[in-house]
Amino acid sequence: MHAAHSNKRPQELDAPAAEEPVIRADLGPDERFRRVLARLVALSERGYYNPYQLFQWPERLPEEQYWMSPELMSVHGTSSGAGLTEAQFWQISKWESINFYSLNVHGIRELLLEIVGRIHTPGFELPSEYFHHVIGEENEHMWFFATFCRKYAGKIYPSKSMKFPGTPSLASGNLLVFSKLLILEEIVDFVNQAMASDDRLHPTIRQVNSVHHQDESRHIAFGRQIVAILFEQFARKASPAELSEVDLYLCRYIESSLDSFCTPAVFRDAGIRNYFKFRAAVLADPAYHELRSRISKRPTSFLGDLGVIGRNGADPHD
Amino acid sequence: MTDTQGAILCVIDHLLSGRPGLEQIEPDQDLIEGRILDSLGFVEFLCLLEELTGREISLEDVVPDDFRTLQAIERRFFSGEPDHGN
Repeated sequence: MHAAHSNKRPQELDAPAAEEPVIRADLGPDERFRRVLARLVALSERGYYNPYQLFQWPERLPEEQYWMSPELMSVHGTSSGAGLTEAQFWQISKWESINFYSLNVHGIRELLLEIVGRIHTPGFELPSEYFHHVIGEENEHMWFFATFCRKYAGKIYPSKSMKFPGTPSLASGNLLVFSKLLILEEIVDFVNQAMASDDRLHPTIRQVNSVHHQDESRHIAFGRQIVAILFEQFARKASPAELSEVDLYLCRYIESSLDSFCTPAVFRDAGIRNYFKFRAAVLADPAYHELRSRISKRPTSFLGDLGVIGRNGADPHD
Repeated sequence: MTDTQGAILCVIDHLLSGRPGLEQIEPDQDLIEGRILDSLGFVEFLCLLEELTGREISLEDVVPDDFRTLQAIERRFFSGEPDHGN
């Protein structure tokens, strides 16, 4: 995973929050985008399901087994993990999966705010029909992730994000918002896809991940289309400095998203002593860096190939 | 050096590590206005504060101004004793 950036920091690059003015997008004339949207709407309609009746929620899930694929756990292959018992691995897998679903809950809240802030506004006429499906599906995802956390862990880990007041760069606002949504969806989907087909996991865990993966594949297809269009429009008018700022911002967003997957609270709840130091050791371990690279490979490759990232001297394919 | 002075030095080191061009931070310097601390760096920064204070920090109990200057951070987070986690 690349982490090397120029020293320059974006001065006006906090993506606009939903309540801030949204620059008008121009998504009308793209025929390919129109066809993709029509196909995604048809797929959403065809795959429509009732999540409130779909899941069988057992009273409890066994503690003496993995709740997360071992290879996706932060401690997998690390020196810190080498000293743990299997029972400790099970506990970390439980709390790390709860943290993962909690991050989904908070990420979906952000996504919904951004989409609701744009639906049926000037410039977003074309994707608004599909936005209705996204809003409905994401609401349902949030429900089943939250239900899982509350039912089997008794809590949702609180969000640790704070938005600081800043001047949004209106020119790059839509690009940043949809790029961030895409990055999050791609990262989450990597985990969902692996867990959905991992027969070491309880059927309920596999089902939650499988259902999310099926819907997210459509959302990712949409995200890739809209990011490509928005970047093409942005790049046409942006200065090299503005392009560099977007690059740096999104690279930092990827890094901070990955940092959120490995938290002190998870290790505390799993009963690990000196959990801050334990987490610091995991974060510094080459095996964990390899895991981060695998998790973020799809979005970094996509954005790198498009030219959105990789301008600041780092290779997005690393 | 007191524990609080040591903690503030850790805070300064962390903030400077994210800004290679910056050599020092004044006690009353606006960290948010100057983008020394921003939304993307906040989660890790909060993590550091939790480690240094030894207690979990709930976002329900803090506001952006608590993080605006080194003086504000010292006042808000380093007036008590650590209780766990270290």
